[in-house]
Amino acid sequence: MSSAMASTSANLEPLFSFLAQSYTTVENGFNRIPGSAVIARYVKSSHQNDPGRTVLELVLAVFAIWTLLQSRTRADKDGKNFIQFTEKEIDELVNEWTPEPLAESLSPQEQVELDTVPVFAGAQGPRPKLANSGKTVLNFTGTNFTGLAGNDDIKNKAIETLRKYGLGSCGPPGFYGTTDVHLDLERDLADFLGTEAAIVYSQGFSTISSVIPAFAKRGDIIVADRGVNFAIQKGVQISRSTVRWFDHNDLKSLEDVLEGIEKERKKKKAPLTKKFIVTEGIFEKDGQMVDLPKLIEIKYKYKYRLILDECISFGAVGRTGRGLTELFNVPASQVDMLVGSVANGLASCGGFCAGSKYVAYHQRINGSAFVFSASMPPLLSVSASEGVNILRNTPSILSTLQENVRLVRSVLDRLDCISIPSHPASPMFHIHVRPNTPTLQLPSASGGKPSNPNSILPRDPPQFDIELEERLLQDVVDEALTQGVLITRARRLRGQEMVEARPSIRIAVSAAFSKKECEKAANVIKAALVKVLGKRR
Amino acid sequence: MALNPPSPTPSMFRKKKSSSSLGPMSTAASYLSAVRAADARARARGDTPLTTPALSLSSSVTTSSEDTILDEGEESYSDILTYPSIPPTSEQVYTTVHSEFGHCSNEEYRAVSQHPAGKPVAPHVEQDPPYYVLFTTYISYIILILFGHLRDFSRKYFNPGEFKHLVPHDGYAPITSDFDSFYTRRLKGRMDDCFSYPVTGVAGRTIVLLERESKDSNRTFAPTGRKVRTLNISSYNYLGFAQARGGCADAVEECIKRYGVSACGTRVEGGSLDLHSQAEGLVANFVGQEDALLCSMGFATNSTIIPALVGKGCLVISDELNHASIRFGVRVSGANVRMFKHNDMKDLEDLLKEVISQGQPKTHRPWKKILLIVEGLFSMEGTMTNLPSILELKKKYKFYLFVDEAHSIGALGPHGRGVSDYFGVNPRSIDILMGTFTKSFGAAGGYISGSRVIVDRLRVRSHSHTYAEAMTPPVLTQVIASMASIMGVTPALPTSTSTGTITKSRMPEPEVPEAYPGRALSSSLPTWMDLPPAMREGTEGRDRLRRLVFNSRYLFRGLKKLGFIVYGHDDSPIIPLLIFNPGKMSMFHRLMRQYSTPIVVVVVAYPATPLVTSRVRFCVSASHTKEDIDTVLRASDYVGDVLDLKHSDGERWPLERIMNSAVELVQMEQPSHD
Repeated sequence: MSSAMASTSANLEPLFSFLAQSYTTVENGFNRIPGSAVIARYVKSSHQNDPGRTVLELVLAVFAIWTLLQSRTRADKDGKNFIQFTEKEIDELVNEWTPEPLAESLSPQEQVELDTVPVFAGAQGPRPKLANSGKTVLNFTGTNFTGLAGNDDIKNKAIETLRKYGLGSCGPPGFYGTTDVHLDLERDLADFLGTEAAIVYSQGFSTISSVIPAFAKRGDIIVADRGVNFAIQKGVQISRSTVRWFDHNDLKSLEDVLEGIEKERKKKKAPLTKKFIVTEGIFEKDGQMVDLPKLIEIKYKYKYRLILDECISFGAVGRTGRGLTELFNVPASQVDMLVGSVANGLASCGGFCAGSKYVAYHQRINGSAFVFSASMPPLLSVSASEGVNILRNTPSILSTLQENVRLVRSVLDRLDCISIPSHPASPMFHIHVRPNTPTLQLPSASGGKPSNPNSILPRDPPQFDIELEERLLQDVVDEALTQGVLITRARRLRGQEMVEARPSIRIAVSAAFSKKECEKAANVIKAALVKVLGKRR
Repeated sequence: MALNPPSPTPSMFRKKKSSSSLGPMSTAASYLSAVRAADARARARGDTPLTTPALSLSSSVTTSSEDTILDEGEESYSDILTYPSIPPTSEQVYTTVHSEFGHCSNEEYRAVSQHPAGKPVAPHVEQDPPYYVLFTTYISYIILILFGHLRDFSRKYFNPGEFKHLVPHDGYAPITSDFDSFYTRRLKGRMDDCFSYPVTGVAGRTIVLLERESKDSNRTFAPTGRKVRTLNISSYNYLGFAQARGGCADAVEECIKRYGVSACGTRVEGGSLDLHSQAEGLVANFVGQEDALLCSMGFATNSTIIPALVGKGCLVISDELNHASIRFGVRVSGANVRMFKHNDMKDLEDLLKEVISQGQPKTHRPWKKILLIVEGLFSMEGTMTNLPSILELKKKYKFYLFVDEAHSIGALGPHGRGVSDYFGVNPRSIDILMGTFTKSFGAAGGYISGSRVIVDRLRVRSHSHTYAEAMTPPVLTQVIASMASIMGVTPALPTSTSTGTITKSRMPEPEVPEAYPGRALSSSLPTWMDLPPAMREGTEGRDRLRRLVFNSRYLFRGLKKLGFIVYGHDDSPIIPLLIFNPGKMSMFHRLMRQYSTPIVVVVVAYPATPLVTSRVRFCVSASHTKEDIDTVLRASDYVGDVLDLKHSDGERWPLERIMNSAVELVQMEQPSHD
């Protein structure tokens, strides 16, 4: 027995010596690491004091490593919702599964929607040629408010730039996509508006969807108008902030909501977070205009930052087209983030956000549509700079525009089969069908209670028949077209907007029209409205 | 400078029969003086024809020389960048400006990118650096973070003014918390001189930096007023269409004269032009799909169109390294997202099995649809998606496939039609092909293509089509012209070439569209677009494609042979070279910029890449010449030695050998993998 043991131990002799040797190697190695003595001493003393603690710490360390090694994409597998299947079952499930088609084919109505989109043959402008009929029309669609489309100075500058810079910038702003002309445009815009700095994005629509989440993060508070445009809705959604809504263009309602938030915060003793008011200068959905001085007053009173979308109003109102800040004589620097469109106001392509130096700088790293997209083609940037230059030096453009707007509105405002919700100075205005049997505007059943600020839907949403009104309005559009005036319904992403906008005809007046043309067009539109809407009585 | 007449030579490089007074020259200087002399003669004659018949070869070398060498007289020249190192002989006529699109007549320096049919796609192996590199990298970050916090701490007490925007003040919460902005201030700030460098001029083969300096540790920069011409291996100018001269630019100029610069409106409300329909048709034809839809911004193509495809109850499976725009779009859509390991088909299949069998979380209802989104060519990795395997999986698991070809379209495949062309698969087997025009086509914006049903649905549902401004006419023209020149046009020759008027008569012969990947129909282009013959015939486009592949493969394999760790596919024009240590990134950038031939590079680090694998990313272009790639290799070799970056354990060649056997290197069989 003992001999057997002796032989076993003799057999294991090399193993033992190997173990001992490797132990010393490891120990030496460990000792050589700087600071190892401290760890060793710590382990020794803690083990001496409380052997249980060693076990606990070991378990903790293993747990920490295990957690770190867990793949994030596999989070579901261990959830209690996970059902174990055998390979065979999985195969069956895979075979059984039939996905919905990626896209449904269009309904006849949607097909009509697409077919009625006007297409021009040749240049855009006040008097373009339609591609399908070859007819020249007076164009009251689009966003050529200032009439800069087709401006010869801009064309020449653009060609000059093309011959120096080529067309594309071939890179995002961070990687050699920032050219001197981009910096010039940013400076021009900041100078024009009177802010410290500005930052230029390469698409107007994506600008505000990117500006909002660059500043507002989870836990921050956004207070927004119920009537904001689609891009703002998306920006708010992606920011994951806490959102409160106030009644459309109702600053009293805004104050109520702000009061409510403040009360709630005091009650909860919540920490101070970033707070933003998000609204539009002239609303894309109905052309109403916000009372900027009052809004600024409220923002200072409640210590909110203001994100103002001037995509429609920049280049459309004010003595030289600087937008709402010029119209109301409010320093633009009081608007924390002033977002505008280079595409609408300056007849180029792109958007911008003006504000303090830090606001612009912050977006250069955090504005996703800025960072991850190629910068705008230099020639478009120069065209926009030239646009600023022209607006600055030619106040007559805006006065002509206002005169034209007044002319058209004076004809249409008197019609009683329609209602126009838009501000009288807005060059883009909407025409709603006035309901056939006006529902009595009772002092609503809710007794004037405010809407729930957590929901974008107002307490008493206006009722309207989308399909019917769209059809009527399209008839008006078609009728006007036969008389050589191109107008269009406001196109909407029905079903994707958070609140459905009332169907409308959107009319865009341009400074490029003569008085005569404006009068003619207004009368044609009026006749078409009367003809179509009058019929149904 | 807009006055230079468009050069009428029919191909980029062409033997010229007429003898010239200029003999072969040995040096750039003599070449230059000869050009000047010839130029003076031409001016003395006083004939600067504005239009020349397209087929005429009568233009003397002088006209083209005047065009092909840019002389602005204000930059500090680095000769090799502005003047070809091998001056052209009298036999050669180039139509491009050397500093925009390099002169390279050696037909050996061409290659074709195509996946060998039937061969399985080799998995991409990422080589790990030695442990000490990893260790020092982590240590560097720890030191950076510790010092950053230390400085933050001391600043807060000793210089609170500087922190004003980071702490609550007057009842306002800070616009960014000091924690959120820590990375930007303390890590990125140290190397801010490598980012957002202002430039001027064409982002072509070379680019002019507006030199700047910082006197306060990168907080602010002031221009020094100097301009430096550098070799540009950074712009996404794969096919070299970033040009201020040439057929595309001429077409764009004509377009601006006719259309102005803006479409003024959204696509559905008065911003649609005939050019949009023409470009959409051409794009669909180019990528081999039924229809296509344009969007005026590349980022927005993903961010506003993905939400129109999927929504609640749908699942998006996304490669973990997909671009930010895809993530933005998916987040807006409200669909569930799962990610799989980059290009790992095994992981993808496991995930597919899991998600289909489990169904929607909690309810276990089956998914409405599953959309797999991958990039054709990954912009930070240079890896290509494993399209054949994905299509195999697609048959079994019935998901829909969305391939983002932002970087691959135009750059890959024997016909430049992207990954499907590269792998030789039918593009219609992919549900949605998305791509951008910013890169290979030198334009801006993006497209989405697919079956007519899908594209029509997107016309109705996508955000940008309804609410965003339409693509502008000059951009559309650049897209049409560059794309047509890659495809070639049939019938190749128009009946009239006068530029001012609309072509009077086209041959009324019936035009049948060629099968994919065929040429574009002449009738699908705007009638006024008068492309030079080399572009109509498609010879120029083909030449660009083949130059790009040669350059990409040469640089990739050259860097490998020098001993660098490079990621990605041999044929990828994006070549990431791994640097690891954060401190070396800015050094690499600075050393390259200060090299005898200044070179600008892009360095990327966390968060665009994983923490340890900081890298420099080369973007090769068809506009580079073999000598340019030599220059990049030489500079990299030098910098690599200084910074100790050569950690690859493959076979190494000395620099001279690489440069002398470039053709051999490029023609080597693609290694199945190391």
